[in-house]
Amino acid sequence: MNNENTPSRPFIQRKRWLRWLAGMIVGNLTIAILYYGTGLLLRAIPYESGGDLILWPSFFLVPMFGGLVASYIWRRLNPRISGTIGGAVGTTLLGIVGAAIVFKEGIICLIIFSPLLLVVILAGTLIGRIWFKGDPTLLRCSVLPLLAVMAIGEPLTRTNQPRVVTDELVIHASSAKIWPELTAFPTIPEPPAFWLFRIGLPYPQSTTNVGDFVGADRRCIFSGGAVFKETIAEFVPRVKLTFDIVQIPKDPELMGHLSPTRGEFRLRDNGDGTCTLIGSTWYTLHVRPLWYFDWWTQYIFRAVHLRVMEDIRRRAEAAS
Amino acid sequence: VSGSRAFDARVFLWVVRHGRRLARIPTFPYLFDALLLAWTSLTRPSRVAAMELLEEKALQIDGVTLRTHRFGGIEFHHETRGELGHVHGHGLLDVRLTRKLAGELIEKGRVRGHHVFPASRWISFQLEKKEDVSYAIQLLELARQAVRRECAAASHFPRERSA
Repeated sequence: MNNENTPSRPFIQRKRWLRWLAGMIVGNLTIAILYYGTGLLLRAIPYESGGDLILWPSFFLVPMFGGLVASYIWRRLNPRISGTIGGAVGTTLLGIVGAAIVFKEGIICLIIFSPLLLVVILAGTLIGRIWFKGDPTLLRCSVLPLLAVMAIGEPLTRTNQPRVVTDELVIHASSAKIWPELTAFPTIPEPPAFWLFRIGLPYPQSTTNVGDFVGADRRCIFSGGAVFKETIAEFVPRVKLTFDIVQIPKDPELMGHLSPTRGEFRLRDNGDGTCTLIGSTWYTLHVRPLWYFDWWTQYIFRAVHLRVMEDIRRRAEAAS
Repeated sequence: VSGSRAFDARVFLWVVRHGRRLARIPTFPYLFDALLLAWTSLTRPSRVAAMELLEEKALQIDGVTLRTHRFGGIEFHHETRGELGHVHGHGLLDVRLTRKLAGELIEKGRVRGHHVFPASRWISFQLEKKEDVSYAIQLLELARQAVRRECAAASHFPRERSA
């Protein structure tokens, strides 16, 4: 005989889903509040005066803590490993959508950030799953000093030094044929092959040049109307063209994350009728962890270089 | 051995053998283990199912609770005998036995020496599917008995223990 006070199975199922959802929402709210608090602190304490000590937690510790909070909400569901993974994926997706809507973050940035965010949130949820399985009220103080060491330790080893990514391409043409093609070039006819360009990351389309002398203005025009304003810094015909990037487009994918500062094309005569075109971009990253975002930055710059350099190669080889 | 299987094992071994200093970075082991688990759930869901079943069965052993392992993963902890073993995010179960027992089991071929300390009392057993769980539980039971014997021996030979 059914007890009238016993909730029906669909009701319990619904409550389970609500609890999963509540964990995802509360976890993300925790992350958002802590990010907001970090932002306020950063405004009060300039980056150079120790504000960077606060910035680090926003990358690892805040999402991990969000995962821990989500796990606390889910503790009565007694989640298994697969359930926790699913919950972490849901929390990450909700966070990504929320960041796109509320913080107006660029989609490409969020796609790049999402694997890292997932792993960090997952680590938090997995720790929480074990912690709250036993005595859910137990305060785990041992991790707090570790988090403090982590928060303080990373900025001490951090440098904002410029980095460089360089690519080379062999062109079957003389430097006399290649040089005119790299100082400025019309719209690249080929559609982008690189997957991030296909889903919306701006890609190089053309370059204009007001003159072949040091101090001349250049414009590197990307898809979507994004324009990088540049000034020629070194001009050695058939050997080297260096330009400083003086203004970058106000794109959410770039602003506050990455500052490209300089670009360069070098030509090396191989003595066998071919030349090696060497393209370099110098940049400074403002996001951490450096090793993760630097990998992505180099991956993307390489695609930018190759799109431009391949076009130069095609035109130079066609002209010779 | 399939590509993905070899890949996660290679990455794990490389990190634990060459990147042991990374384990000193707070929370790094948890992040690495979460990464392993995420990869395993994509490439080897049967391992994750086996890990879940192992967890369920291990909790039925008297006095066993779960803890987060200091080098990442889930630790099977006995209330009086301490750590019996732990399972990493890619389903590698490490169990602490006696040296003699470890040697005997390694000789039989189903388990292998510990991935970092092969000539120790620790052995490693790779969970692949749910059918492996009964053997894994036997290993944990052996660990419980081995630790009990060790404790008893230590009480007779306190100097040896402190050495």
